[in-house]
Amino acid sequence: MMKTKKGWLITLLVLVAMILPGAAALGQDETVELRMAWWGSQTRHDQTIAVIELYKEQNPNVEIIYEFSNWDDHWTKLATQAAGGDLPDIIQHDYQRIQEWVTNDQLLPLDPFIESGVIDVSNIAEASLAGGRVNEQLYGFNLGNNSETFIIDVDLLEQAGIEIPPIDWTWDDFEEIALKIHEELGIYAIGGNLHYSEHWKGTYITCCDAYAYNAEGDGLGYTEEQDQYFVDYLNLIKDLIDAGAIPPIEETIARTGLSVEDAYIVTQQAAMEYGWSNMLVAVWNAAGEDRTFIEHSVPSMADGYPRNYIKPSMFWSISKNSDHPEEAAKFIDFFTNSVEANEIMMAERGVPISSAVREALLPQLNPAQQAMFDFLGAVEDYNSPIRPPDPVAHGDINSNVYLAQVVEPFLYGQMSAEEAVALLRQEAEILLAQ
Amino acid sequence: MTDSALRLPRRASRKRKEGRSRWGENNLAGYLFISPWLIAFFAFAFIPMVLSFALAFTDYHILRGWNFIGLDNFQRMFYNDVRYWRSVSATVKYVVFAVPLRLVFALGVAMLLNTNRRGVAFYRAAFYAPSVVGASVAVAVMWREVFNREGLVNAILGQFGQSSIWWLGHPDYAIWTLILLAAWQFGSPMLIFLAGLKQIPEQLYESASIDGANGIQKFVRITLPLLTPVIFFNLIMQLIAGFMTFTQAFIITNGSGRPLDTTLFYALYVYKRGFETYEMGYASAMAWVMLAVIALLTAIVFRTSSHWVYYETDEGI
Repeated sequence: MMKTKKGWLITLLVLVAMILPGAAALGQDETVELRMAWWGSQTRHDQTIAVIELYKEQNPNVEIIYEFSNWDDHWTKLATQAAGGDLPDIIQHDYQRIQEWVTNDQLLPLDPFIESGVIDVSNIAEASLAGGRVNEQLYGFNLGNNSETFIIDVDLLEQAGIEIPPIDWTWDDFEEIALKIHEELGIYAIGGNLHYSEHWKGTYITCCDAYAYNAEGDGLGYTEEQDQYFVDYLNLIKDLIDAGAIPPIEETIARTGLSVEDAYIVTQQAAMEYGWSNMLVAVWNAAGEDRTFIEHSVPSMADGYPRNYIKPSMFWSISKNSDHPEEAAKFIDFFTNSVEANEIMMAERGVPISSAVREALLPQLNPAQQAMFDFLGAVEDYNSPIRPPDPVAHGDINSNVYLAQVVEPFLYGQMSAEEAVALLRQEAEILLAQ
Repeated sequence: MTDSALRLPRRASRKRKEGRSRWGENNLAGYLFISPWLIAFFAFAFIPMVLSFALAFTDYHILRGWNFIGLDNFQRMFYNDVRYWRSVSATVKYVVFAVPLRLVFALGVAMLLNTNRRGVAFYRAAFYAPSVVGASVAVAVMWREVFNREGLVNAILGQFGQSSIWWLGHPDYAIWTLILLAAWQFGSPMLIFLAGLKQIPEQLYESASIDGANGIQKFVRITLPLLTPVIFFNLIMQLIAGFMTFTQAFIITNGSGRPLDTTLFYALYVYKRGFETYEMGYASAMAWVMLAVIALLTAIVFRTSSHWVYYETDEGI
């Protein structure tokens, strides 16, 4: 009997010892603890951490715990945290996904913090905030302006004897230029990725002032007769692949997941590269200072609307389960309006939305940042309006329909462009109607 | 020896008589001792399994919560999901080729290493090494480089005038890079084969030699039959591992299943549905179908085993 009692006592002691550290932590609650998560490159991680350190220096009562990762892991992690009701206070969010998160009631509206002046928007144009609104309420705070771009290697174009095209160039112009680059230099005109769903959406912006999805997000945003525009686009891509002017799909797919150092624009195996405008900084960095690049608009349809629009590169959002939403909002304000913080980041997340910050950065820009500012300035005068955030079903449609069943089978020669686009309509409508 | 063996049962029975009331307490202490394992088992294996079984009948979406939807997930899987069947066909193709290839390699190398030549210990370690790091990311990354445009394989083929191929981008070839990787990672079945080979009594070979049997005859008549229990074990283990392959495809083809879903392994597709489009209910349903299929196949292999697996009895030798 004695022995058993002793055994129990030891067990009890062990248990207490296990619980004690946790209990001790409950006692201290003077400092505010914020959790924060973002995705990005090593450069972004380093910069963001430096800004956090700066903020903690100026606000000793705030402790910021951060986690960062790449795009895929970021969303995987957030999903599990959302399921456990344990989201970080401040989340880096994205235009493609914010609708889904708001619809599922995971984010907090930011308007009260703007009204109360916690987030100062006096130097920010309304247009720069608009992208973060869902159902008239602000859920995402823009971290910088971005636009789709064709990065151009100026030297290679010159070697090929080609002038920089005008900002309102068309896909016909592009085809001509692409073939000439290939003919003159024997390299690819562009590194690839012209089959992404951005080009499906973009086709309907430029041809018809419409969008891939309708405003309600429960169906496609273009008519069956307008299917032809995307058929033409796909056929153009296929023709350029067959002519050797852009990489074949085998190559593009075998090369997915490579880092920027291996991009064809960096290795001079292509004269252009498609991407978002904040990408140039990394590209130029990898290519070296002796090269010269500019950012250019994405071609439009002949007699069509501008293809480019100004998009929030990414957002800060505050999660619904945040214990300190006001402190989180204060940090967002600092991130947006502090010149000191933005001098650390130098527009890595896109062109800053605060005019005061922009002016302060202007004299310090390196050539890549300068080119990005110039490009965004040009797009401000030549653009289409931004479309509502993608519907909830977009992620599913993009990976399980658009890429897997439509565009890749087409590019591998398994179906015609007409069949592909008809299948896209049929399958996407099913998912959108759900 | 005899003494204690005789006394033991008596002591045990006495204890049982007087200690019946303490039986529960004694067991409790035992459970406490294994509680770290028990807690982990319940928290990370048993409860999640029960939950996932329940979720298989819901439309659970991570951000949205769930509704009970009966068998809808299974209907969707079998009738309305093109990619599901692509993932099934990719997985079956992989298992059908990768598992036998790996076993053949493993047995072949095990036989080569079942000698007493100098340095054989080094070779055993060397051949086992790829499997130690087998499921690791590093090997997968290296494999991707081997099949890259500028990689080893194209460099070798280039010597024979073959122009470079985008192995990982070509729908006919991409899965073969994964099958070859599997074949190359033969280490653990090899070790088991090696242990099995060492169990085969040397006298059998000696007497076969005296009877004039050649190497092939010895292999077919002695080695293979006596090795069948080991082959059986390896087959089951590798079959299960094959169906659950994930890391290799996740790294080598970036978890995309590309090209054209030819490398969209079942486990990968489950992951994509669960974590990319957040459809945990659907993903759970898929996982349980896989469990059922693996269980069924294992049962079939077990059933057939009485026809081809030869167990030695003590009288056998």
